[in-house]
Formats: sequence, structure tokens, C-alpha cells
Amino acid sequence: MKNSAQRDLFPGALEMMILRTLKRQPLHGYALVQHIKRTSDDLLQIEEGSLYPALQRLLKEELVKAEWGISSTNRRVRIYKLTAAGAKHLERQVSSFEKMLEGITRVLARGES
Amino acid sequence: MNWLKQIFSRRRVYHELSDEIRQHLDEKIEELVAAGMSKKEAIAAARREFGNVTQVERDGREVWRWPSMEDFLSDFRFAARVLRKNPGFTAVAVLTLALGIGANAALFSVIDAVLLRPLPFHDPGGLVAVHSVDLKDANQGGEISYPAFLDWRSRTHSFEAMSVWSTMGFTYTGGEQPESVTGAMVSANLFSLLGVAPALGRSFTPDEDNPANDELPVIVSYEFWQSHFGGDPGVLGRALTLDNQEFSVVGVMPPRFQFPVQRERVEMWITIARDLQGKSALAAQRGVSYLQVIARRKPGVEISQAQSDVLLVQDQLNRQYPENRPRGANINSESDQIAGAMRPVLLILLGAVGFVLLIACANVASLLLARSTVRQREFTLRAALGASRWTIIRQLLTESLLLAMTGGVLGLLLAHWATGALVAMAPQTLARTSEIALDYRVLAFAFLVALVTGVLFGLAPAIQASRFDLNHVLGENGRGSSAERGGVRLRSLLVASQLAIAFVLLTGAGLLLRSFHHLQHVNPGFRADHVLTFLLDVPSHRHPGAQRAIFVQQILQSTRALPGVKSASAVFGLPLSETQSVFTAAEIEGHPVPPSQRPRVGFRIIESDYFHTMGIPLLQGRTFTARDEQGGPPLAIVNETLARQMFKGENPIGHRIKPSISFGESDEAPLREIVGVTADVKSGSIGGKTVPEIYAPQTPTDFIGEMTVVVRTMNDPEALVPAMRSLVSSLDKDLPLRQVKTLDQYVSGSISAPRFDALLLGIFAALAFVLTTIGLYGVISYSVVQRTREMGIRIALGAQPGSISRMVMREGSLLTLSGVGAGLLFSLFAVRLLRGLLFGTGEIDPATFIAVPLLLMAVALVASYIPARRATQVDPIIALRCE
Repeated sequence: MKNSAQRDLFPGALEMMILRTLKRQPLHGYALVQHIKRTSDDLLQIEEGSLYPALQRLLKEELVKAEWGISSTNRRVRIYKLTAAGAKHLERQVSSFEKMLEGITRVLARGES
Repeated sequence: MNWLKQIFSRRRVYHELSDEIRQHLDEKIEELVAAGMSKKEAIAAARREFGNVTQVERDGREVWRWPSMEDFLSDFRFAARVLRKNPGFTAVAVLTLALGIGANAALFSVIDAVLLRPLPFHDPGGLVAVHSVDLKDANQGGEISYPAFLDWRSRTHSFEAMSVWSTMGFTYTGGEQPESVTGAMVSANLFSLLGVAPALGRSFTPDEDNPANDELPVIVSYEFWQSHFGGDPGVLGRALTLDNQEFSVVGVMPPRFQFPVQRERVEMWITIARDLQGKSALAAQRGVSYLQVIARRKPGVEISQAQSDVLLVQDQLNRQYPENRPRGANINSESDQIAGAMRPVLLILLGAVGFVLLIACANVASLLLARSTVRQREFTLRAALGASRWTIIRQLLTESLLLAMTGGVLGLLLAHWATGALVAMAPQTLARTSEIALDYRVLAFAFLVALVTGVLFGLAPAIQASRFDLNHVLGENGRGSSAERGGVRLRSLLVASQLAIAFVLLTGAGLLLRSFHHLQHVNPGFRADHVLTFLLDVPSHRHPGAQRAIFVQQILQSTRALPGVKSASAVFGLPLSETQSVFTAAEIEGHPVPPSQRPRVGFRIIESDYFHTMGIPLLQGRTFTARDEQGGPPLAIVNETLARQMFKGENPIGHRIKPSISFGESDEAPLREIVGVTADVKSGSIGGKTVPEIYAPQTPTDFIGEMTVVVRTMNDPEALVPAMRSLVSSLDKDLPLRQVKTLDQYVSGSISAPRFDALLLGIFAALAFVLTTIGLYGVISYSVVQRTREMGIRIALGAQPGSISRMVMREGSLLTLSGVGAGLLFSLFAVRLLRGLLFGTGEIDPATFIAVPLLLMAVALVASYIPARRATQVDPIIALRCE
């Protein structure tokens, strides 16, 4: 297991990224994880499996919904879509994340000078 | 309702999740293969990138669950499966627990009804029983005369209200057959004192304590109203004929109302007015103490204050009426009064049954410990797969609780059956038995006991089982681990404690059984076999004056003519019956003694064939003859104890004695010439002391209406009952036979309480004994199995079978000796509790204290001999190959 080498995500980060990605377009699990990995230029090493419990959480809270469909590679896959509640949740999460990031950045900048 | 939908759709959700993960992996593999990897490499890489599939699936599912509740349910399901798969173990454990819990629930249902539940009256805490005590003879009395009671009531200040009561048998005529019913004579204020109003009609009014010109009032029980009047509300005002006197029904009490609280149902209540009628009315005499007193304390008045209040008044009375024997007073709370003698016994039994449960717990704990060693590999595997120590403890505790609860349910079934048996054999002194039931209180108790039991026997094995070193156990192939040795130590401790507890119970049971045995072999002074007895209350208005004695003679003569009758006689005051005799003071002619110093003697009136029929030997002089019954100078026969105590070696025959009892018109008690001395009989109880007694012949003047007829038969005395009924009915159709019983029944009734104690403690001790033996056998044989390899090596190295079996036996003996030693020590203290219950044996009875350890050691020897033999038969090759 390479858990120790993995750059830990803070709680909720994975969910936020999933919601953000799904906001652009509905995707199935595999495509979703590939997209996140690619977009982050593999800076974030995510265990692919860890996506699924996160998706289950989002499903349970009805922030996303899923439907079985056929993928571009002609597979029977579950395609996830953002719900209205999911969109609202994402907005709130992003804004609070940005505030947090700004705070952290300021502290880090002060420390350098 | 979303969560509900989720629960039902969960299986589908899980399924979809698994599906999706498989698709993900397939897609990944396909992609990697397309990029040029071999299939095998691709599979490995995909899995590596994905992470632990099982873990992901589980995490994904967990999202949908309610963690604690569902953990419990799954633990529960798993436990049920484990128990189902081991039916032998489960059956033994459940049965053991059912016995323990069932015995506790049964006894608790009795104790709850008899001791714990408040009396069914208003504010029962304020009710007290006030006794008038004979200062010279603490064993006698408790009753008071009505004039003395009136003085108590008017002169004391501690009570809101005070009532007298006395139970009595009535002959109720008015139905098709004359019927004897139990009733009580009470003060008019009794019902308001108890705070219970009639369900129909009214209570007594205060002036109904006094005799009136019109009919006296009677209040009947709800049950009597239902059975005799079909619940007709028109019963009010109807006349009821009791003992040939008409009473008018004024009220019906609520269902299940019972006063006094006693075993036998009381069907009706009349006022004291009945005993105040006529010239020499019973309740008008200060010398006749026959009434019980119940009172309600004023709020804030302690029992001790109330007692000194009554004592002060009684002191005045003692000085005011020096011709009466001086009396004191004693107050108990009414609930103590009713629980009475049964309280210590029931508490001892509760302790005993609690110990039985402890032993049962120890047995099951021991079984679980043994199993947990066997299941060590299972736990280890689960731990390796990520189960925490708490998960394993939780799982094992769930199994224990499931066992305990199953045992509890089965135990309640046992208790239901056992309670019935308990009530059936309970002695008369156990009041409130009608309230005994398996109600919600007993259910709650059983549930609680099962819960505590489950934790008690489950916790230690669970902790033991969860305490292991992964690498060690897996590496060592699960043998000889430290947890195992710890388990054996714990089990040995359990067995030693079981032995100690069993020792204590066996000792107690042994002592009670010996006491009972002694009681059974007490000579009552008469021959109790083949004697039928019944009470005749000869009414004076149909058989006036001398007719009454003649009527009894007629009955006896006809009885003697019946086939199968050897002899027949009659007595006022049958030994061991409720009317055992009257007590009175006596003095010898020529030795005047002030009234307060005169000894108390029992007084009986007998028909001339009494001693012969009862089989009471005459020691000196003669018995009464038919001629003595015609009248003439008053005569007496005394018993041995009286002759010894009052004549001190002098021959009493020819002397004259004066028991203070007068009959008929005369106020002066006659001097009676002693014509004979008979052997002593047990009058009050089989275990009691014999008292001085005087017999007088029944004459036309010296006669008391309540005669008990005694008939000695050749065959089964009870077979004679129908013939006797028709005989009496042919002479007086309105006269019922009351208290039809054999003399044997009186004797066994007199020892029913010790029988109850001995039987119950005996059963509990036997249970403890059997469970302990099983426990001991289990521990020894298990330790042999554990050491199979060791035995094999020893035998392979040339150890003789003898030395192997000695080694195993030594282990068993060590356990036994330590358990028996501890038990002996505890017993020396515990037997003190039995002090008041023993008869004819001391607390430290050598026979019991020798027999119990011998028995335990013998059984322990057998219990370890069987496994020891098995140990010598270990085949070294097989034992070593086991590895």
C-alpha cells in the first residue's frame, strides 16, 4: 500500500472535486477518476477505488444522481450527474474553501517575509 | 420516508456498487492492454492503482448503514449462527442457565408477592399489629379481651383507629346443603381503618359494634356474592343464616379483597356485636383473650412511640385488674406480621438460589473459556483481517447475551411450572399465595437476571479470548499459548469456587433434612394412622342444654356400629388442630397461689373412649367411664408433664385441682379430683414443647359446642367420609361436617413448614451439586485434551500409565481440596443463618460436616478418574502426529 506516500486530501476535498467535475459534464466512475487525475497533472495521487465510497456518500445525500447507460467505449456504465442540491452544495464548499485557502496563503506569506 | 426506501433498496445498491467496480477494473485493464501491457501485468497494475477492492466495497456499503444498530444485528445474526452450529454446547449452556434463571424467577415471584408488594390497603405503611403479650409465657397469646381492647382504644393517643378481629368458621344454612364458610368478626371501623370501601352497599356504622334488637349486619366478599347470589344487586337487605342466627347483608366488598391476609379465603365479616349478646357474653369478659388487634398509626408516630403508649395503658390495666395475669404489649408493622416467620426462610432460599445461578454462570463461563481456546484461530484470523479487540469482545458478549436470553425464556417456562408446585407445597404460614403470579415484575426480574448473567459469564471469557498475540498464535499453530494457560487457570478458579458454594448449600440442606428427619420421628404421643377427624359445631338452640351431649353420644354410638370402625370418641381441643385446646390457669387444692402466679395449663373435654381411640397410654389410675359422664363429682385426668411440674414426684391421684374454667350457670370453677395420669402428647406443634394439660369428662353440664369427633378405622379413614356425612345428616340435616381431615394430615401439616424449607434447599443444593460435578469433570477432561501432546511425549519416553493418571488425578484432587476447604470455612459462618430452623441437631452437626466433604470428594474423584483413564490411553504416535 502506498498510503504513506500519498499526499493526504483534507476531508471533503475529493467530494468537492467530484462535484466540480460533474458540473461540467455527467461522467461515469472510471472517466471521472481519470479526469481528476489528468487535470491535476498527477499531482494528486488518488487511489482509484477511494472514489467509490465518496460517490456513495454523495448519492446518499442526493447531491448527485446516477443512471445506467452506455459509455463511449460501448460499456454498460453508471453515469453520474450533478443535482440542483449538488450544485448549491458545491458553490458553498468552493467559497468556504477559497476563504480557507486565502487564510492559509496569507499566513504562509507572512511567515516568509 | 427516504431512509426507509434506502433500507429496502440497499441490496440493489450494494449490487450496483460491486458491478460498477468490476466495470471500472475491466475498463482499466482494457486500456492498459491497448497501451501494450500483457494481460497479466495489466490486471496487477489495475488492482494496484485501484487499491483494496474489498475495503472499497465495504466503505461504500458502510455509507448506507446505521453503524451501531446494524453492527448489533449482524453480531446477533452471527451469534445465532454460531450457536446453531454447536447444538450440543448450546443445549447444555441454555439448559444450565434456564435452571438457574428459572429457579430464581420462581422464588422471586413468591418473595415479591409475600414480602415485597405492599399490602392491598390504603397507605399500608401506617398499619400495625398490636399484640397483647402474656408476660409469664412469651410463646402464648397475642390475643386480647374485648374490654381490655376498649381500654386500649380509649386511653392511647398514638393511633388514628384501632380494630379487633378474629377469624371463625360459620355454618351457613340457606343453600341446599349446610355449608361451612370462613368469616371474621371485626370492629365496625375496620374497613375505614383499612381504607377500603365496599363495592356495593355500605360499610358498618360505629353503633353496629353494639348488639341491637334487629338483625345484625354482615358484609360478604365479592366472590361469595358471585357464587351464592349470582352477583344479584338485590342481595342488600337479604337475610343470611349463619350459625342459626340471621344476619342482614349490608355490603359487598370489592373483588379479591381479603382480610385478614391469610391462606384461607375469608368470605364474610360480622361485627363484634355477636359476641356481646346474652348474659355471659364472650366479649364482655375481661379474662377471655381471643381477639387480634390491627391499628393505624397517626402520621409521624413511630412504632416504638406507639408501643410505649400502649404499654403505659396496659400497665394501668395490670394494676387495675390484679386477678388477671399481667400482660404486656408488642407492636409490629402489619406487613412484617403477615410475612412473619417466612421472611428469614425466604431470604435464605433466595440466597441459595442466587448461589445456584452463580454456579450455573461459572459452568457456562467455563464452557465458553474452553470453546474460546478452540476458537482461538477464528479470532486470530478475524483480527488479522482487521477486527479490533473490541469487535471480538462485542461479538462474544452478543453470543453470551443470546445464550442468557434464550436461557431466560426457557427459565420463565420452568418458573411458571415451578411456581405452581411451590404454592402447592407451601405451608399455611405462607400468606398471600393467591397474589403469586408471573407478572411483569417477575418478567422484568428475569430479564434483568438474564442480562446480568450474560455479562457475568460472558465477560471474562471474552476478554480472555481477545487477549492474544497475533504472531505468536499464528506462528505457534495455536497451541500452548499463554491465553490458553490463562484460560485453564481461570477455569480452575471457577471450579474451586463452585465446589465451595456447593459445599455451603449441601451443608445447609443436610442440616435442614436432618432436622426434618428428626421431626418426622418425633412421637406425637398418640397413634396418628387410621384416624378420621371432623368438627361438629352442635347448635344449642336445636339441641338445648343436656341434649347437646346426648346428641354427640348418639352420633358416636351410630359411628361405632359402622363397618370398618374400630372405635370412636370426641374431644374439645384436638391436638395439632387450630382449636388445639384452651389455656387456663390452674391451682392445686391446699396450695393457694395468687392468680397472677398460677401456671398456665391446657384444658380439654373428652368423651370416655378418647384415650383408647387416640392410642394415648394411661400411666396411672383410670380413664373416665360412661358413668362419669352422667354427672357427679367433677373429675380430671392430668398429663405427665403436669404431674411432674405441679406435684414434683408426689402421686397426683386423689388430689384435687382447679382449672379456672366454669360451665353453664355457675361462675365458680369446680375443684376436680384427679383419677388418672396419661402420657404427654404434642398439642401445639410436633416440634414444640409439651405443656401441662388437664382432661375433663364431658357431662351434661360440662360441655363445649365445638366437639371434634375422632374415629379409628380398620382401613383408609378417608373412605369413611361419605358414610359419616350421611350419618350426621340423618340425625341433624342442618349440621355440616367441618374440617374433615385425617390425624395423619394434622401431623404432616404441623411439619409442612420445615418440609418446605428442607425440600427447597435440598433441591437447590442438588442442582448446585450436579452443576458443580459437571463443571469439575469438564475442566479436568478439557485439560487432558489440551495436554494430549505432552502425555504422548511422556508415554513415548516411557512413563507408566499409573504415573500419568496420578498426575491427572493430582490436578483434580488439588482443585477439590481447595474448593472443599474454602467451602468448609464459609459453611461455619453460613450455618448460623439456619439457627432458628433446626430441630434436634446443632448448627455444627458432625454427621453433616463429615458427609458433605466426603460426598464432594468422592464425586470429584470419579469426575477426574474418567479423564485420567483417558489420559493413559493416549497413543503417543497419534498425539505427536497431531502437529
